[in-house]
Amino acid sequence: MMVIETALKALLILLYATFVGFMFMGIIRIVTARIHRRVGPPIYQPILDTIKLLSKKSSITHGLIYDFGIIYALGATILALMFIPLGGVSILRAYGDLILITFLLEIPMLGIMFAAMSSGNPWAGLGAQRALLTLLAIQVPLGFAIVALGEFYGTFSTYQIVMAQQSMGWSITSLPLLLAAVAYDLVLQAMFGKEPFDIMIAPGEISLGPMVEFGGKHMGILQIQHAIALFAETLFFSNIFLGGAVITAFASPIINTLATLVVLLIKQTAVLMVAIFIGAIFPRFTIDQAARFYWKWPTIIAAAGAILAAL
Amino acid sequence: MINELMIIIFAPLLAGVLAWIFDVKGIREGVAIIGAAVPLAYLIQAYQTLASQPSIQYSIVLSGFKFEFILYHLSWVFAMIAGVVGFAAVLGMVSTAKDSYEWLFALMSLTGVYGVFLADDLISFFIFWEIMTFASFMMVLKYNRKASLKYFLLSVLGAYAMLIAIGIIYAKVGAFDFTSVQRVFYQDAMRSVMGSDTLFSRNELLLIFGLFLTAFGVKAGTFPLHVWAPDAYSETNQSYTAMFSGVLSKAGVYGMLVIYILLGTRLMYEFGNIGAAPKFGYVIAFLGGITIIVGGLLAALQEDIRKLFAYSSISQIGYILVGIGVGTALSIEAAIYHAISHALFKGLFFLIVATIIHRTGKTQFKDMGGLAEKMPVTFAMAFVAILSLAGIPPLVGFASKWLIFEAVIHQNMPILGGMLFFGSAIGFVYLIRFTYAVWFGQRPTELDDTKDAPLPLAIAMGILALLNVVFGIAPGIVAGELNKIFGKEIIQGTIWELNLGFGRYNGLFITIWLVVGILIAAVIYFLGAKVRRVPVTDTYQAGNPVTMDYNLTIRRNFFLPLKETLAFWLRMSFDRLYQDIGSWVEDLAETLRHYIYNGNVQAYAWYLAAILIILALWGV
Repeated sequence: MMVIETALKALLILLYATFVGFMFMGIIRIVTARIHRRVGPPIYQPILDTIKLLSKKSSITHGLIYDFGIIYALGATILALMFIPLGGVSILRAYGDLILITFLLEIPMLGIMFAAMSSGNPWAGLGAQRALLTLLAIQVPLGFAIVALGEFYGTFSTYQIVMAQQSMGWSITSLPLLLAAVAYDLVLQAMFGKEPFDIMIAPGEISLGPMVEFGGKHMGILQIQHAIALFAETLFFSNIFLGGAVITAFASPIINTLATLVVLLIKQTAVLMVAIFIGAIFPRFTIDQAARFYWKWPTIIAAAGAILAAL
Repeated sequence: MINELMIIIFAPLLAGVLAWIFDVKGIREGVAIIGAAVPLAYLIQAYQTLASQPSIQYSIVLSGFKFEFILYHLSWVFAMIAGVVGFAAVLGMVSTAKDSYEWLFALMSLTGVYGVFLADDLISFFIFWEIMTFASFMMVLKYNRKASLKYFLLSVLGAYAMLIAIGIIYAKVGAFDFTSVQRVFYQDAMRSVMGSDTLFSRNELLLIFGLFLTAFGVKAGTFPLHVWAPDAYSETNQSYTAMFSGVLSKAGVYGMLVIYILLGTRLMYEFGNIGAAPKFGYVIAFLGGITIIVGGLLAALQEDIRKLFAYSSISQIGYILVGIGVGTALSIEAAIYHAISHALFKGLFFLIVATIIHRTGKTQFKDMGGLAEKMPVTFAMAFVAILSLAGIPPLVGFASKWLIFEAVIHQNMPILGGMLFFGSAIGFVYLIRFTYAVWFGQRPTELDDTKDAPLPLAIAMGILALLNVVFGIAPGIVAGELNKIFGKEIIQGTIWELNLGFGRYNGLFITIWLVVGILIAAVIYFLGAKVRRVPVTDTYQAGNPVTMDYNLTIRRNFFLPLKETLAFWLRMSFDRLYQDIGSWVEDLAETLRHYIYNGNVQAYAWYLAAILIILALWGV
């Protein structure tokens, strides 16, 4: 009985996350279009694209790793999703450790890199190199931001951090964590792969880098992975910095859950909007510019936050 | 009846000597495997004994000196690292060892390292330390004279430092055994708290600490004493390097723990704490943090597969030093855990490197590529090792790294925390460089008939890979043993779970949900259309046909942008600094030879006269 209930819950969370993730992808396209003074595609366009990709009649592969890397990427993203608190419904929130989730959000990239590199396409190799150097660049401010959180709350449990914020107010209302949040938001820009830090895929320059070889169902799975990752990353940010959401005001647990999801959705959308606006305004950084940028201001801001939190 | 501790220590050496005498192919390998297996078997057996009594002790008196040996939980854990990884390395050497010379010294160094872990007095500790150093030096000497001399020079520096420290301690304490030394320093700590006179002054204490730190820092490969490691690790039999980097470097780590055991209380009271962490440990921790970063960045920029892993080894030891340096019970447990996982995955990595070099004869990234198809077993092992080193749950590398992260950050040490995060990213970076250059892309035609790993190497890799997975999914097994060292439940939880109170990690749940996730993804994948296999040349190249005539895979200078970004920092090099000092000394000697020691007897007579006059004037 427990198993079935958990499985059902997991399935619902997964479907919800995928759907919202695709909506986010649609929102990104519409908002960017409006900033460019275009009309833009309908919000459900990414879903149509994915269905088209998944139903392609012919697909190519470059070998076992090429297939497994993709499957692994999606699998690891689903794994990460299960650990992030989603109000009162998440599956493994008791184990949702800050460090663990930070690592889990990075693993899908490893799967994609493996698949991309195994194709032997030089663009993919170049893209992998750039993605890794971006990762190296963002890791420093990201690390300090996580350190600041861990020190400030004295716990690594994401759920406990969410609960603490219900009584103490949002994380960003205290100075050390506000600094950490600013740095983390800048990092998020690169995690989304949005301008100015989209050098790793650089459409038009290195033909989407790691993505160059993928087509058909491989690309379709990666679209789903991207949708869930967008959902998970925004959710994580909302949880740790924007107070998350645990609503118990209503009598019915179902309404409470729905209200929680709505509140979270608003916060997630806000996080996404910031990323879209930054992405639409700035041109692309080269990789060394990106590294120098991240190792300067975001690092200083986040380190200041971490040191303040330690005092 | 010979004592079991003596068997554990001397069985490898005996086997080595036998293998050296009966230099017959087949026999020497068999003897060597037995020599490595016997200590392991005795150690496993000793586990039963240790459950009922706190330690196994043994002492012999030789020409007035009493040599004492002890096996208790801490030394058992370290000896097991040596046992398992040493055994795997010996299995690997069955495929790669060229002659009996290598067998003798490889097994001798195993004896040395067992001796270091089991020693209970400073003299045995020093003697076995030197046996270990000598044997590993001989292993490097055979392959590369220059690298071995560099190793030798720094090891001698370390040995002198240790000898002086031991001398100072003996002069005041009058005993060598750990128990007496520990007691004296403890009493000293109490005296300094009371405000009365202490046996060792503050400066003497600082000197002993510095000398030990130098001695153990050299062996562990701590920045800035790491310069020998990249050369020595790479210029020897790579199966042996699995032991060299996996086990021998742990002697340095163990040495750091010995500092804590012997001097810890005194140092802590003398210099105070920062938060819950001792101030003197901060030195170790910060050196560790810098070691992580320097080792990692240099690893990413290497063009030689052996060098990449040598630097990576240095970088990973940095984590262990950070854990030890922070100095809380939890962080030391985390550090020992990482010592175990480092031995497991780095041992595995060096066996993989040994296989690649054994089968292809190449060491440079530029000559490799596309080997995943030709060596599927080795690649599978490499996959496990990569995931483990990169710290991907549910492998052992994550469990130990996670513990270190939590232990450090919980002590409110922001800068160290940032260094750890940087270290984990740089790990990804150099591993992907290895993956891409060796396993994927277009394969040079000369590697077309490369075979997979020979059986002994495959078994050795299999053992280590299995342990990487098992200790990751069930981290509680290791944590339970580590708790015994401190005699209390510092890391709680079941065998699947590590529970620190402020953070939890469950290896089993991660495994289950990863499998679930992969199954869901696999269902989507298999619902799609059938796939058609295409060759490596059939890729998108903006309309240009790709042929095997020229290789488009980026193998050299893969991280060029990183190199450019770091150009300023890369100009500084401790290796070059030491070399410059070396050549200054040579120049100085040359000058002296020219003008002063010129071989002219008359000149020497004048020097003598001058000195006599000076002495006379001085009133001697």
